Amino acid sequence: MTTKYAKLVDTTRCNGCRACMVACKNWNDLPVDPEEFKGSYQSHDKCGANTWNMLTFTEHVAEGNRFEWLFRHTACFHCTDAACVKVCPADAMHFTEFGTVNTNYDKCIGCGYCVQNCPFGIVELETHTDENGTEYELAQKCVMCVDRLREGDQPACVEICHMDALIYGEKADMEALAEERLAEIKERFPNANIYNPVGVEGTQTFYLLAEPPSVYGLPENPRVPLSATVWKDYAQPLGKAMLGVTTMAVIGGYISNKLFNKDDHGADEGEESNE
Amino acid sequence: MTNHWNDIQHTDCALIIGANPAENHPISMKFVQKAKERGATVISADPRYTRTSTQAHIYAPFRSGTDIPLIGGLIHYAIENDLIHKEYVVNYTNASFLVNEDYQFNDGIFSGYDENSRSYDQSTWTFQTDEDGNILKDETLQHPRSVYQLMKEHYSRYDVDTVCSVTGTPKEDFLKMAEAFCATGQVGKSGTIMYAMGTTQHTVGSQNVRAYGLIQLLLGNIGVPGGGVNAMRGECNVQGSTDMALLFHILPGYLPAPTGTERHKDLASYNKNETPHGGWWNNRPKYLVSLLKAWYGDAATKENDFLYDYLPKNSRNSSHISLFEAMYDGDIKGMLVWGQNPIVGGPNTTKEQKAMENLDWLVAIDLWETETAAFWKQKAGSNPESINTEVFMLPACGPYEKEGAVTNSSRWKQFRWKALEPKGEAKADAWICHNLAKRVKKLYQGDNSTKGNIINALNWSFGDGDYPSNDLINREINGYDLTTGKTVLNFTQLQDDGTTSCGNWIYSGVYPDAGPDEEKNRAKDRDNKDTGMENYLNWSFAWPLNRRILYNRASADLNGQPWSDDKKVIWWDGETWANSYDVPDFAAVKAPGTPAEPGAPALAGHSGDDPFIMNAHGHGGLFAPMNDGPFPEHYEPYESPVPNAFSSVDLNPAVVIWTGDYNEKGDRSQFPIVVTTYRLTEHWQSGSMTRNLEWLSELQGHMFVELSEELAEEKGIKNKDKVVISSARGEIEAYAMVTKRFKPYTIRGEKVHHIGMPWHWGYMGITTGAIANTLTPHIGDANTMIPEYKAFLGDVRRAD
Repeated sequence: MTTKYAKLVDTTRCNGCRACMVACKNWNDLPVDPEEFKGSYQSHDKCGANTWNMLTFTEHVAEGNRFEWLFRHTACFHCTDAACVKVCPADAMHFTEFGTVNTNYDKCIGCGYCVQNCPFGIVELETHTDENGTEYELAQKCVMCVDRLREGDQPACVEICHMDALIYGEKADMEALAEERLAEIKERFPNANIYNPVGVEGTQTFYLLAEPPSVYGLPENPRVPLSATVWKDYAQPLGKAMLGVTTMAVIGGYISNKLFNKDDHGADEGEESNE
Repeated sequence: MTNHWNDIQHTDCALIIGANPAENHPISMKFVQKAKERGATVISADPRYTRTSTQAHIYAPFRSGTDIPLIGGLIHYAIENDLIHKEYVVNYTNASFLVNEDYQFNDGIFSGYDENSRSYDQSTWTFQTDEDGNILKDETLQHPRSVYQLMKEHYSRYDVDTVCSVTGTPKEDFLKMAEAFCATGQVGKSGTIMYAMGTTQHTVGSQNVRAYGLIQLLLGNIGVPGGGVNAMRGECNVQGSTDMALLFHILPGYLPAPTGTERHKDLASYNKNETPHGGWWNNRPKYLVSLLKAWYGDAATKENDFLYDYLPKNSRNSSHISLFEAMYDGDIKGMLVWGQNPIVGGPNTTKEQKAMENLDWLVAIDLWETETAAFWKQKAGSNPESINTEVFMLPACGPYEKEGAVTNSSRWKQFRWKALEPKGEAKADAWICHNLAKRVKKLYQGDNSTKGNIINALNWSFGDGDYPSNDLINREINGYDLTTGKTVLNFTQLQDDGTTSCGNWIYSGVYPDAGPDEEKNRAKDRDNKDTGMENYLNWSFAWPLNRRILYNRASADLNGQPWSDDKKVIWWDGETWANSYDVPDFAAVKAPGTPAEPGAPALAGHSGDDPFIMNAHGHGGLFAPMNDGPFPEHYEPYESPVPNAFSSVDLNPAVVIWTGDYNEKGDRSQFPIVVTTYRLTEHWQSGSMTRNLEWLSELQGHMFVELSEELAEEKGIKNKDKVVISSARGEIEAYAMVTKRFKPYTIRGEKVHHIGMPWHWGYMGITTGAIANTLTPHIGDANTMIPEYKAFLGDVRRAD
């Protein structure tokens, strides 16, 4: 892959209409996931299996008693060094020709390693029922509307955004645009910054933030969990070679449960979904 | 809107007041953003910090119900600091006119007030004239009886300290706002005022808008790109429905509805009393006769006054509150509720629900069963056994299941093609109306009673099909030359002798000069090429005459040249105004400086420098009579936390006060908190559509009330607690949303709390919740009777 693409989320232009949320559910045909009253305009605590993007609403008092109501569109970051792809024992999580991270439901075995290892707390398992009434789980998350990208269209959330708070294009262009806008808004938002994490070798979603990442609940320096690296880059290839793929998946399940400890792996965005 | 959505991008300063476009008119923010990119300043003036405020440079909080002090303060600031657009004010407004010596204003009351009828005799609100009827003027603006001096005196009381003590706006914020907005008085600059129902839904709602007009005229902001007084309409076709006379007091095209008074006893009396000598409205008789020809066809003749007698004559006010009061009193026995949900959207829900119990029948036409349709059910708190109303529900099409035009806030009439077949038995509104009319006419066939004659005379020529012909409807709206059978070019061809017909004169030109086989519906025009200054003259049809910016003669100076190069609309090229970026709102070949013909009627009586052609005198009306005065004056809301600081008159002296059951007035000792209501992006109006859609219900699934951290602390309320909000009309329960976006106000030295809540919820649909309008009173504006939803008194406590 030569060209890198990215979705720029300009939080300073977002005015919180949440058309991105509805457009996502509409295009991807996702069911509702209604939650209890949150005490703010925010509808969900975090992204979930049926809510692939969502908007956070944060009331923040900055220096000089400057009040800001901050909105952040949050969805899968589509990391270049994606932990979910690394740990997936079934190759269900995979990279597309656009460098986005896609899910293959035919391969997903619902093991949940991706859920445990996502540095941003995005992936979630959803329970489905087959025609025999048997329940099974699938890992679900934003796929950057890869079906739309293949048709030359923009992701649904980007297409609907009338404020150009969401823009999708070649990453170098998006980075240049982010720099340009940063210069324009520095007066209005002195703490504005570009959040473009490098710890996961870059992401395909990055931000122009009005305030420091921590104000939005974002990890300052997200990274792929060490355990995931050990597992994917060393243990799994070795194991597959020695024991065969099926056996390795079973052993892998045991090892993963012991090995992966979510608390070590960077900050999460919020609480587990309770629905 | 005087201007249009796309034009907002040309502003140097947008004052967003009484409106929250980021939430309620989201697409408009695209144009606000473009203006910002061009360097514009954006001001959000609102009782609470909204999603719109996040996009503003300046946020100015003010207590709900104090627009006139706030704007009066701007007027005062502009005058005192000499920031007005002097050349514009002197030449284009009535600032120089000398006012009747008997006009007075004392302690909140204008001359001519009658306390018993709570109304004004407006005969002193006039101008001084010479023997020939010419208005006396002083173009130095120094004469003590000039409009300018009287206005200056009137608003001298609106100094910044008094204003801020009443509105609760921090002085620093007020001054930032005043400095930024009044800077648009500079020649070549423009400022826009974007407003919505936060402005109008007050006992002084109409005067709030008038106040915007005053400051905009003083700053030279009317008629120019990026200027204007711009009403953002809350529904896709509110503009169209108002134009088509959905309101009781007008006929299509803003002709006054005839009343059962001597003034309107026959066509000659109506024409005599409603036709001004000067200005465009001098043409009114042509529009009324052409309307009667459209409605009554061949049956309307010169000999029978074109059946003027058949028009209903209002014997009383028939606005929303009046209708429900009459229903409560048992005077109204049946109701068609069509795309409306008054149980959620109307004020004083308890009273209106009780009133509906008096109906013999109710027909509810909507996409879903609304709260109004279900008013008799247990979930409404009713006892079905004791309600005898027969309720019919007619399923209606959604917007994409039918064809037809809607008119947006820009006055653009845009045709919409049908995208989907309707589900089940759902029918388009036009089908329902068409078939209702056809069946009523059939019912009265051969009936020679007066009622039968009226119904039989009605012309209903929309084709023989089950569905009315949209094409024929549009031709009727445009109007016909009845001699040739072709449609008229536009309203300048309409006559008062019965040779033309026209369903709505302001839309005349939408289907121009077409023979029976020619299709020329300009509402279908879709050329998105910019024809200059983003006016897109070949996209849709804007009334009147496809004009995009009203009063655009005022965008040019006395020589007919634009005030600045980047604010060009129309200009005089030596021969005509017509070779411009917009259709001139002016006689196309009347040169600047052309003198008025003394005593001549209509536009002949105007000079080449009189831009306000609808007004008899051709000038912008700084001084202009309304039911409650010629200048906007502050009165407190019906329920207010403080006495009026500007006079001893607390309530607008010209509003109707409704008494009787279920309409108690709250007192500040018992209900100390200012309450307001509003909408959210995620829901629409009474929620009858959006609360039946899962994805929107998911985004805002709970009725809540927003309150400050300080009030929450005082009341022992925590975020997410269930609380009870009360007013003199009743109590409702909701979740508490404790927020920094509301702050306590300091009003006249005292701390006043302010809370607010959405009015979207009710007991039907996917997400249900308490009806905010349980709390609001029956009281309305002095001119329009629009209910005062936006400012009343209440209290809040924990629900346990």
